Amino acid sequence: MEKFKNTPVVRAIGFNRIVLIGVILLMYLIFAVLTPVLRGGASFVKFERVLSALNYAYFIGFLGLGVTFVIATGGIDFSLGPVMFTSALISGYCLMHFHWPLWLCILVSLLIGALFGVLNGYFVAYRFLPSFITSMASMQIAKGVGSVFTKTQSVTWPASGNENSWFRYLIKWGNIPTGLILLFLIAAVCAVVLNKTKAGRYILCIGSNREAVRLSGVNTKKWEMLAYILCGLLAGAAAIFYVGAYTTVQPGLGDTFNNEAIAACVMGGTSMAGGIASILGTIIGALIVALMQEGILAMGFTISYQYVLTGIIVLIAVTADTLSRRKRV
Amino acid sequence: MGDTILTMKGIDKSFPGVHALDHVDLEIRKGEVLALMGENGAGKSTLMKVLTGIYKKDAGTITYEGREVEYTDPRHAQEDGIVIVHQELNMMGHLTVAQNIFIGREPRAGLFIDDAKMNADAKKLFGQLNIEIDPQETMSRLTVGKQQMCEIAKAISHKAKIIIFDEPSAALTDAEIEQLFKIIRGLRDQQLGIVYISHRMDEIKQITDRVTVMRDGCYVGTLITADCTKDDIINMMVGHVIYEDPKTESHVRPDAPVVLKVEHLNAGRMVRDVSFELHQGEILGFSGLMGAGRTETARALFGADPKESGEITIKGKKVDIRTPEQAVAAGLGYLSEDRKRFGLALKKSVTENSTLTCLPKYCKGPFLNQKEERKVTRKYVEALNTKTPGIDQLVVNLSGGNQQKVVIGKWLIGDSDILIFDEPTRGIDVGAKQEIYELMNQLVEQGKSIIMISSEMTEILRMSDRIIVMCEGRITGELGIEEATQARIMHFATLRS
Repeated sequence: MEKFKNTPVVRAIGFNRIVLIGVILLMYLIFAVLTPVLRGGASFVKFERVLSALNYAYFIGFLGLGVTFVIATGGIDFSLGPVMFTSALISGYCLMHFHWPLWLCILVSLLIGALFGVLNGYFVAYRFLPSFITSMASMQIAKGVGSVFTKTQSVTWPASGNENSWFRYLIKWGNIPTGLILLFLIAAVCAVVLNKTKAGRYILCIGSNREAVRLSGVNTKKWEMLAYILCGLLAGAAAIFYVGAYTTVQPGLGDTFNNEAIAACVMGGTSMAGGIASILGTIIGALIVALMQEGILAMGFTISYQYVLTGIIVLIAVTADTLSRRKRV
Repeated sequence: MGDTILTMKGIDKSFPGVHALDHVDLEIRKGEVLALMGENGAGKSTLMKVLTGIYKKDAGTITYEGREVEYTDPRHAQEDGIVIVHQELNMMGHLTVAQNIFIGREPRAGLFIDDAKMNADAKKLFGQLNIEIDPQETMSRLTVGKQQMCEIAKAISHKAKIIIFDEPSAALTDAEIEQLFKIIRGLRDQQLGIVYISHRMDEIKQITDRVTVMRDGCYVGTLITADCTKDDIINMMVGHVIYEDPKTESHVRPDAPVVLKVEHLNAGRMVRDVSFELHQGEILGFSGLMGAGRTETARALFGADPKESGEITIKGKKVDIRTPEQAVAAGLGYLSEDRKRFGLALKKSVTENSTLTCLPKYCKGPFLNQKEERKVTRKYVEALNTKTPGIDQLVVNLSGGNQQKVVIGKWLIGDSDILIFDEPTRGIDVGAKQEIYELMNQLVEQGKSIIMISSEMTEILRMSDRIIVMCEGRITGELGIEEATQARIMHFATLRS
């Protein structure tokens, strides 16, 4: 076992990540066997099922990538999901009611996400509020703003084939899951930012010991805030992928996605204590969350079961993280 | 000298990659103080953790009062009468003294806690130790020394037969240490077995009866304290002699320019109207008792804490320092007394810590230049003789002395001209201490200037060219090294206004 852990390939990917890939395969196998049993011969092994699971993986993936930066600083963001919904609501409203060009609406979505990032980041980094409280408050604000803006109406983005529907190609072009390509592409950019840039280095070091970084003459406030802005920006991006797959958004919702994004992140090996983060891990985590969601629905259970499972997964992942840290000390 | 109360024989313990204890023996006797000495990483703490059941031993036997024991939980050891008084105190500041001592086993009166009995019991304990502490006082309002005495009272309330003191004097003033020794002697006379872990050679000579020395996880030997010299012990610990002679004259050139001038610095209660000058190539010692305001002065100067007033001039230019960022830009570097809290990102690698002060220098645009970064880190790891398996090693895995070298390296890579060393050798073993002293001397020879805050008198007298003494937030005296003596420094250090 030790020998296997020390081979170069395993070390590059990370042993935990390989275990997680194993988990994906195992889950797929279980769903493939159980679905026909529970649903009278219905098959899970279909390309549509994969595409459907991926639809879920895209936006959870983007949210997870964003929150990875925040958790890397030792913070947390519970406003992710509602911010994503608010971005989709407002930009969609601009598209459908003000008839703004689609590219501008996508930009608006990114901008709204980033603005919430600025809000969170300002109060956490410059006013020293706990990120937990700050993001809880901005979650409420996000929900409220979305509702007020659309007068508590839901917003439906254009269906494919209609005018202004090219954003759907971002998710799927014919049978090609373009969304997956884009997710991997952005993830690669995130990995570079986190591991190969000054910003990423500061973010990780702040997560490990904020005060030591400050006393090294670094403007920690600026860099900590940047993590929240990146997180917001990615939530704005997630919004486009959400409507690309599910078309309609309602005001006042979205908080369940917080937990799933955070679950994806923590499962992937990002430490809730900050300082340690893995982009690849977050992506694999998002795929697990998405596959689980698809499997549960395919087997005929309601979505409520997924909430239970996500909760359990978070508990297990955080426990594993805490245990491994205690062992090292 | 009494009977043996506990023997450890052939204790062996390995962690992944480290053979922490290699068949170590130890004998504790009733009515005797045994010193346990060794450099950091020699295995002293590990041995004590094995004894009290925090770690499980791989091999060996522990015989306690004639029977073989193996604890799996420190609580069981405590119930059996083996107690550790830790270096870091585990007290709850907002509770009273008595509440802290009896936490978890409060005397009851029906459903409620019997406060009167608890306070009376605490009073009785203090009577046994011959100390005056009000059991109803809030813990956080006591001095560190008094808090430690409460910890000792807690230990004997467990009917302790063996008390292990893990560097108890690290945070105490001289008067408090004197009182601690009185208590320890009292406990010894009551036929308890005492283990005393410390780096301070003078204390070992004063308080202990025998000295057991460990090195690199091995048992080296045991000496009768009265029959050996300091050098004997140091030799056993490191294998070569280190002289600690005081400096006799300043090494600063008489025409050396003033590089730093601080005028009328005020910051809170602990920094009152502080003014001083630092010359190029000088080591300026800051002496004083715990709480004299030296660290606070350094932090205010460095912009780590806000200041109310004061002018700072660096190399003839007035500078405005409100954040550490501005301080670093002005050429200052600050090595904190508490490297784990303020100096290092422990879960990050040696490389990541080393370039933290000047990361922009090792970047191309927003991207890290990891090749250059690793090159410079490797260079300083070699120059400072930092012992690490590699530059990718996490700092948390290094010993105290080597962690300190990473901190020093970080400021050297940052190329700061004025370095503030706050307790540069606290918690560092003798060998590494020597290296750090040599390094500081090299730095001033290269034209850097150093402010050294130290609570160790020998360190102040050995390193400084000039000494400033503080008391209660004010500078109470300044001494050239040729006129400085321990007595003179103490005079100023206790000069309350």
